[in-house]
Amino acid sequence: MLKVAIVQQIDSLNPFLAVFQSSTEIGRLMYDYLTAYTAADQSVTEGIANRWEPSPDKLTWTFTVPDGKKWSDGQPITAHDVAFTYDLMLTDEVARTANGSFVTNFESVTAPDDRTVVIRTKTPQVTMLALDVPIVPRHVWEKAGSIKDYANDRMPVVGSGPFVLTEHVPGQFIKLKANKNYWRGAPKYDELHFVYFQNSDAAVQALGKGEVDLVNRMAPAQFDSLEGKAGVTRNKAQGRRFTELMINPGAQTRTGVPIGDGAPQLKDVAVRRAIAQAIDLDALVQRVNLGYAVKGAGLVPPVFGKWHWQPGEAERRFDPAAANAALDAAGHPRGADGTRFGLRLIGRAGRAYDEQASEYLKRSMSDIGIALDVRLVSDNQLNEATTAATYDLAFSGWSTNIDPDFVLGLHTCAQRPGADGKGGTTDTYFCDEIYDRLYAQQLSEFDEAKRVEIVKQMQARFYDQVPAVVLAYENALEGYRSDHFARFTTQPAQGGVIMAQNGMWGYYGAEPAERTAQAQGSRWTGLAIGGVLIGGLVLVVVWMARRRGATAGERE
Amino acid sequence: MSVFSRLGERRAGFLAHRAGVAGAVVLAVAALVSLLAPLFVPADALDVTRVTADAWQPPGAGHWLGTDHTGRSVALLMVQGTGTSLFVGLTAAVLSVGIGTLVGVVSGHFGGLLAGALLRVTDFFLVLPALVLAIALSTVLPRGLGTIILAIGLTSWPSTARMVRAQTLTIEARPFVERARALGGGHAHVIGRHVLPSVVPLVLVNATLAVASAIVAESTLAFLGLGDPTRISWGAMLHQAQLHGAVPQRAWWFLLPPGLAIVVVVLAFTLVGRALEAVVTPKR
Repeated sequence: MLKVAIVQQIDSLNPFLAVFQSSTEIGRLMYDYLTAYTAADQSVTEGIANRWEPSPDKLTWTFTVPDGKKWSDGQPITAHDVAFTYDLMLTDEVARTANGSFVTNFESVTAPDDRTVVIRTKTPQVTMLALDVPIVPRHVWEKAGSIKDYANDRMPVVGSGPFVLTEHVPGQFIKLKANKNYWRGAPKYDELHFVYFQNSDAAVQALGKGEVDLVNRMAPAQFDSLEGKAGVTRNKAQGRRFTELMINPGAQTRTGVPIGDGAPQLKDVAVRRAIAQAIDLDALVQRVNLGYAVKGAGLVPPVFGKWHWQPGEAERRFDPAAANAALDAAGHPRGADGTRFGLRLIGRAGRAYDEQASEYLKRSMSDIGIALDVRLVSDNQLNEATTAATYDLAFSGWSTNIDPDFVLGLHTCAQRPGADGKGGTTDTYFCDEIYDRLYAQQLSEFDEAKRVEIVKQMQARFYDQVPAVVLAYENALEGYRSDHFARFTTQPAQGGVIMAQNGMWGYYGAEPAERTAQAQGSRWTGLAIGGVLIGGLVLVVVWMARRRGATAGERE
Repeated sequence: MSVFSRLGERRAGFLAHRAGVAGAVVLAVAALVSLLAPLFVPADALDVTRVTADAWQPPGAGHWLGTDHTGRSVALLMVQGTGTSLFVGLTAAVLSVGIGTLVGVVSGHFGGLLAGALLRVTDFFLVLPALVLAIALSTVLPRGLGTIILAIGLTSWPSTARMVRAQTLTIEARPFVERARALGGGHAHVIGRHVLPSVVPLVLVNATLAVASAIVAESTLAFLGLGDPTRISWGAMLHQAQLHGAVPQRAWWFLLPPGLAIVVVVLAFTLVGRALEAVVTPKR
């Protein structure tokens, strides 16, 4: 039995609605996609379909669903299931909630027979082998009724993936059983449990004590604390995420109406470049990420090899003096108190990176005469500020996919919100003619070498225009009980992750070890955690007692 | 009896309370440290972009109390945090006692409908869970020192108001106030010349005790991550220690000093407050 610690809640078990990373991770275990990515090098491989063929004009794609694949209830998987899933998304807006972007360019999806799926697109689309949409069984979902209200929690949930969902108690645990019908062969162990933890400190402690077998998304300090621990193996993997500092470039809606209240100085690209130049990225990586990150550059992290872009000659080296000179030249002289103008920096309270990096940025900006007003707020407030464009600088970050289309698309003009301020998922309100033209080009460029070149040009343009500074590509820090599990499949094979893959290989490929004696948890750390909790409690109690004391005194 | 001889007598009374004197000495030291902090702390020592020491250094020769997650000296952070904690404690206490005194005197003196309305408001704030209200306030308002002070001040005044009102009522029932009224003394005269002077000693005692609870409140809010993110206070240090993994690092030197400092200063304020209380409470 593999026990995995998770901290993030599940938003929905319905794959059409689930957007949280935790939920899509469970979804990958329950449902296969039309195609998959290999564990070794993330190239496209067999999923539900094992063969595919584009027409010469690239507008019609024919996928073949082979014989012999079965749903977990024994029914055969056919082309009709695939067509049903995509059709549902094309006809029902609610079903497009989570993965709608993959089908927006679809003209029609048909299944002429049990084995063949034909997809027609409006324009040539390069991402046809990267459709990250869980394929659901038609014989179950036909009777689902309204997608919005369908919780998909009739256990065991019929699926096609290596595991079958059998039990879910919100906030406590999720239990899955191995799918004996899985076409790649059943997993090497019987049950997979996801156990909820309040915070990652607790999860790391549980790993140390052997209560769980696998933990990811550790903070650098937590990762360091597991060094040399008996029975625990750490996995420092290349992450799929980047962290960025957004610079409001003068937010506008799709129709060009200004929204929000970003500082007018930031509309000037020279000012944005100066800000980027005054940030010491190496120091941030060393001090804030404790070295567990790679210095940021383009939008695609280095884990996606060929798509990753490095500035080379064009690199903006950390140089406060040059940044100062640039700001002088841009017409922002220092005032009597040494500041040029003030900016707001907004980040999430309680996220270690934001709390610490904001201190660095405050100092770096004051070196170039910009007074930074740091505001750390709740998740919702941060969301509100970024969608309403009421920020100057803000921390953000994205997970990227194997195909760079999604993360590149976030920065196109069309992704800006409509006149009512809604719709669109723009990241930074970036809108640039050159960038948009390149985006359209890469979307219909089927020669991969040429497409890679265009994608790199786009990242260079983004870097040059700085609507955001990519600060770092964080390492994914994971740890597992090597006395319980001998081996996990990472993706990619070299320096890859176990959890949060583009696939389910980490869980599927786990090999149980011979059980040895349980490792002893450290009593000291338990005491320390208790100490902190008691300390916090004492603060609260003392304050209340003081108030109570005051009322008692007055009664005298 | 002149005001001065009364003060002298009270000073002697206070000096008779050993615990109170000890508390006063601790407070004097804390105040001195916070005032002299700029001399102790070199300009760049707490600048995260300038520090050169490694993170999580245990206490040793170079750093008396070790270093934090960014390599800053914990000892210097403690010194720097003293000022913030005392400042927030004092201003929040002044704000809370100020509101309390105003409401108490006004409702005690004027009575009638106004007093009824004010008392209902007081009751309302009295039954509100103060911590929850403070958390809500500091979430809604922009983060910062002012918000914290406001949140503490707005949640801790009702008990002062109740006490001051009671004292006002007893003073106003005395014959000399009646005499003053009969001789044509207006509201301002009665409040200014008779009520306030008799209320002030009690208010001072209350303020001293309020500082203690305000410091704890500030530390609580900062520990919960609701404080001013860029300002160093003892509560904020505890928050950072917890957030940046002092526990898995076993960095006790980042957890204990701020915690103990809060305990000591709060204790000192309480001792001083209790001693003052014993001195000024009218003998019956």
